[in-house]
Amino acid sequence: MILRARLSVCLIVLWMSACLFGQETSGTALSIPATTSAINSVTAMSQRVVHYEIDAKYDPKKHALDATETLTYHNLTGQPQDTFPFHLYLNAFQPTSTFAREAKREGTRDENFETWDPKFYGADEIKKFEVVDQGDLTSQLQFIQPDDDNKEDKTVVQVRLPKAIPPDGYVQFKIKFRDQFPQTVARTGWYRDFLLAGQWFPKVGVWWHGAWNCHQFHATTEFFADFGVYDVKITLPQNEVIGASGVEVSNVNNPDGTKTLTYHGDDIHDFAWTASPHFKDYYETFQGSMGPVKVRVMLQPSHWDQAERHGRIAEETMSRFDKWYGPYPYKTLTVVDPEPGSAAGGMEYPTFITGGTAWWVPKRFLLPEQVVEHEFGHQYWYGMVATNEFEDAWMDEGINQYTEAKVMDSIYGRNTSTMNLWGATAGEDEFDRMFQLPVSDLDPMVRKAWQFADFNSYGGITYGKTAVVLLTLEGLIGEDTMRQAMHTYFMRYRFTHPDKEDFLKTIEEVSGKDLHWYFNQAVDGTQVLDYEVLKLSSYPADWYKEKVKEKKGQTEYVSNVWIHRKGDFVSPIDIEVKFDNGDKVREHWDGQDRWTRFSYQKKAKVESVEVDPDHKFQFDHNNFNNSQTVEASKGAARKLSNYWTFCSQFFAQFLTWWMV
Amino acid sequence: MRSNLISSSAAVLKRNKRYVVWFYLMNLALAFVGTEAFSTHVHGILDHSLYAGTLLHGFDLATLAELLSRPEFGPMQSSTMPSMMLAVLFLLASVIFMPGVLLGFSSDHRISRQEFFRSCGHNVWRFVRLFVLFAIVAGIVGGILFGLQGALVKGVDQAANDDRLPSLVHFLSLCVIFLVMTVIRIWFDLAQTDVVLKDENAVRKSLSWGFRSTFRNLGRLLGSYVAISIVAAIILVVGIVVWHLIVPPSSVVGAFLVSQVILLLLLAMRFWQRAAAVSFHVRNSVEASVEAESRLAAIPA
Repeated sequence: MILRARLSVCLIVLWMSACLFGQETSGTALSIPATTSAINSVTAMSQRVVHYEIDAKYDPKKHALDATETLTYHNLTGQPQDTFPFHLYLNAFQPTSTFAREAKREGTRDENFETWDPKFYGADEIKKFEVVDQGDLTSQLQFIQPDDDNKEDKTVVQVRLPKAIPPDGYVQFKIKFRDQFPQTVARTGWYRDFLLAGQWFPKVGVWWHGAWNCHQFHATTEFFADFGVYDVKITLPQNEVIGASGVEVSNVNNPDGTKTLTYHGDDIHDFAWTASPHFKDYYETFQGSMGPVKVRVMLQPSHWDQAERHGRIAEETMSRFDKWYGPYPYKTLTVVDPEPGSAAGGMEYPTFITGGTAWWVPKRFLLPEQVVEHEFGHQYWYGMVATNEFEDAWMDEGINQYTEAKVMDSIYGRNTSTMNLWGATAGEDEFDRMFQLPVSDLDPMVRKAWQFADFNSYGGITYGKTAVVLLTLEGLIGEDTMRQAMHTYFMRYRFTHPDKEDFLKTIEEVSGKDLHWYFNQAVDGTQVLDYEVLKLSSYPADWYKEKVKEKKGQTEYVSNVWIHRKGDFVSPIDIEVKFDNGDKVREHWDGQDRWTRFSYQKKAKVESVEVDPDHKFQFDHNNFNNSQTVEASKGAARKLSNYWTFCSQFFAQFLTWWMV
Repeated sequence: MRSNLISSSAAVLKRNKRYVVWFYLMNLALAFVGTEAFSTHVHGILDHSLYAGTLLHGFDLATLAELLSRPEFGPMQSSTMPSMMLAVLFLLASVIFMPGVLLGFSSDHRISRQEFFRSCGHNVWRFVRLFVLFAIVAGIVGGILFGLQGALVKGVDQAANDDRLPSLVHFLSLCVIFLVMTVIRIWFDLAQTDVVLKDENAVRKSLSWGFRSTFRNLGRLLGSYVAISIVAAIILVVGIVVWHLIVPPSSVVGAFLVSQVILLLLLAMRFWQRAAAVSFHVRNSVEASVEAESRLAAIPA
């Protein structure tokens, strides 16, 4: 009896517990789909944290969108969670936002803020916020500003749940929202009848390094999000041509003159789409190592003659990334040529990028190629490796800039990978170097994107300096080793949100070298590297004798060469000394002191000296003082002076043609 | 008639090509002086650097950009200002010496140096007044036209999905502005010619005559001017193509020669237009006097 009674009590307790547990998690039935229809893989490739199901209806006349979003979140944080922050990026496009405040401080970003018409603002308004089994929490939503004290900024909203979600539990949010797209700012919004819908839905933050990482939208920052599955339905007028992240699942015409397209994406962390009545499609197929990839280029009709250029660079880039760094697992890539004049060009979203060209761009001016290459490169560093772009912008933009230089150089030649037109040439890495020169000592690479001194410093350091720091690293450890390190880094950390240490450790591990001395200065520091040949001299060894007759090849000379470390970046460096009998001597200096002197006694005079003769250091502050010759070679200066004279004369004649 | 004006003015130019050469040399000399600051800066940086090779054996834009951004190159203004000032000096010299050129063009014999300079000195103030008036008229008309063009292109740019359309509108409107400004140039060219050839002290009379003549003979004069301008554009394009295709990047002398031939020929084109204005004036005066004589002859004694 007692036993039976005890058993009954236990059963009742168990039943009640089960009921309670079921209520609290709501969720034993919830899950993130294990679909793989959008990737060339039979299993999921990422740890899927989110599943977004969005049903949106777009009104092109109002540039507005009404949608419902069902977000299933898998709590893999290892602890109960009752607080969830969400990004509402479109609220950045209002005058009181932190984005506008920072952009105004810098002058402008895409918009002239002095004449910014309210009809061009953007907004993302949550109409209803419901948590399954926890009720309507719309009134509980609270805007927060984790990065600054701007209470007017509404780009992050937070909700506190009445009941915490246990570790490994699921929670489902049902959100009704309305977007008012801005006229294109920061590569989001409408322009004429074109729309680029990026950062358009409430998106949950990332639990990273033991805390929620959900920054406000700043004028210089980009994005960070968890991987998952996206199922998105978009309804819009039938005349619109639409492209989006992921694969198209269905396209159904509705009786009211609209159509509904359904897209599905696997192992992606964002979803963007575009619409315009004018797009013309061009298709290519890339045979990747994981399977075929359908490349769709959505072109403006006036750029149709550049379809092959876009297709070719997309394919060539994919081929090199596949071979060098690792496979592209997705089944699609959509390349969008945005509306001319819009601020929508040059942007990356998972499996979806925007290019940038104009009708007149000649074939040897490689701007469209650069943009497509660059944005595709993001598919790897932003899309799959998925570093935190708010905090480690250099790990996406900068690494991508480096791989852009490598890919473009390999296709178009190192000195001609930007342009080769009418005798004028320019290479990618040279421009990366130029980009960072004016700001090289302002900020370190490792700085939160909104904390840089200004836009120029953010751009110069994040893009330019990172690229030349990695190109220099390649010079130090060798091209093959660097490529192997990048491959290892990609394959090891794809879909994992790595940080700086992960990247640098991988380089050291693969190269087998201690590179702390380099990373400390180049990555963490603001030291400037500038070595110069200070002076050089040669005089007869028996100078003290009267009437010394100098004979080439017979007279013995004492030669001295001074090398000066002008900058505060300390690095070992090679020096090549060339004598007038053709002899060359290689020296190596540790660079610890501010200067060093090399002396020689031989039957030849010094002809020239060059620091870093193999051109390993791509971020030397002044390339002109890296070498010195005894004899002046006036050809280059005369050539430029001749050009200058021609331009002066032409200007004078032009002025006189019209005025007199 | 148009080909007559073009061919007769070509003959005038051929007879007086020394003026083109003198003006060319004057511009070259001034440009050399104006280039001195730039030249000093670049020689100081490039002459002893191996890195200069990328500019000599090619034309590397990044190296050029780095060169211009070096602190030792100095502010860009220190190079541009002397060249600009000397270009303005060439313009003023052209104002001063143009009367002598026009007198030489109108004469069927080679005028003496004294005649040339006397004409220059005699007409200097008249030419300054015409220059100022031209600047006012061209400034107002040009300002309005460029303002309209800007608004038009902006409007088309905002409305058109096709980015070729604003470019086309931009190009076509530039053509219209070019034609209008050329008409104004013809008007003032004729006025200047009239001032010199009639020794007209009242420039308003020459302006009035120039205005009437321009619009009464618009097709003929504008056709000639535009035809010569097209030849000038062809010279510029062909010259640059030749420069690019034939001259090796490291050949400073070759580049200098080709560039100077282009400039000399371009200058000759402007003098050709001047010669056309003089030919028109001379022919017009002859026709007017013949007409007057025949009118006199028709009067009964």
